[in-house]
Amino acid sequence: MTAAPIQASELDQAPRDALRRLVLTLADSKRLMGIRYSDWLLGAPSIETGIAASAMTQDEWGHARLLYSMLKEFGVDPGAVEHERATSEYASVDALDRELPDWAALVAAMFIVDGALTVALDSFARGRYESARSRVPKMISEEEFHGSLAEAWYRRLAASSEEARGLLRNATMEMLPSTLAWLGAADAPARSLVEAGIMEAGPVLLETFTQRVGPLLAEAGVDVGSVAPSEEWDADRGRGPGHPDEESAARARGDANRQLLVD
Amino acid sequence: MTRTALPVVGSRLDGGLPFEVTSHKSGGRDVWSPPLETDPEDPEAAVRRALDEVLDPEIPISLVDLGLIYGVDFEDGRATIRLTYTATACPCMEFIREDITDRLSQERWIREVVLEEVWDPPWTQERISDAGRRKLRTLGVSA
Repeated sequence: MTAAPIQASELDQAPRDALRRLVLTLADSKRLMGIRYSDWLLGAPSIETGIAASAMTQDEWGHARLLYSMLKEFGVDPGAVEHERATSEYASVDALDRELPDWAALVAAMFIVDGALTVALDSFARGRYESARSRVPKMISEEEFHGSLAEAWYRRLAASSEEARGLLRNATMEMLPSTLAWLGAADAPARSLVEAGIMEAGPVLLETFTQRVGPLLAEAGVDVGSVAPSEEWDADRGRGPGHPDEESAARARGDANRQLLVD
Repeated sequence: MTRTALPVVGSRLDGGLPFEVTSHKSGGRDVWSPPLETDPEDPEAAVRRALDEVLDPEIPISLVDLGLIYGVDFEDGRATIRLTYTATACPCMEFIREDITDRLSQERWIREVVLEEVWDPPWTQERISDAGRRKLRTLGVSA
């Protein structure tokens, strides 16, 4: 990708709108990823894994905050986006829409969904968009231990009991299609970001992702190359047609603490 | 000492408390120097010296030694501080912003404090100064 940095205001309308969509889907996904980690602070298999989930929750919400703040460059009030949107407007990746049913599903989300987000962020940081170049590398550095833990925990479950392998495989197969569709998006907005030098093309991202997760998924009996991406797509939000459940959106917005919000 | 609330950009002071009421004692307030009695010849250097007195809320070494201060500018009474944090969700961000603002606000020659949050380059332990490392070692913390 081209090295010269560019501001959002310098972009034509189409890539500018596409960039806004990308920032919002990344920010919302980080926020929901944090919620999914937080679901397991006190229910993880050990104190240590719960504490790790706590640390990752903190990271994800820090990343979300930095990403939401980029929306100011599009004339959008980040506070309103964070705290006042309707549930149906959330653009987070599909796999995080509702509470994950078991620890194996969290490990799968950590490896697959958080991993896909990091692949996208890595490309974003190497593109032309100035704010991504200056802010995203810190996020990626904080994601390093998420990736290490995800790999270790996924491998451990994949090598344990048949029941654990089954749960892991089911969760993996549940999450992969929508995650592949999101990361590999090649619709008009995604193409305009590639043309503007802001992101790599979907197939390139998918190849990076496959190299990252493929060998370990194979240990769990999953051939990532044989999984078809979801076909349902909402181009306005850059995700599938659904949305997070009401409880998750309420937590993301901070509905319970609305009277206590500070700048 | 009379303190005057200064305009602060990109920060928030005290959660609605009257300015003279400090809600906590973070930032090494008990060891801060009194304000300068005369305007400094080199205000930028004076701002840096003041910042060197502001301690991290969690470990008692200065924000300067911790490597969080990425730049200082001073022009027409406005002190602009470019700072980063050890983590994107550092729980002490509000304290750090408040501590910097309060320390600099003691100085009559500073009219305005502007805090610019930066993330490039990302903070790592490599940014801790040698002096900071020595202080941390005396506290039993390796870095």
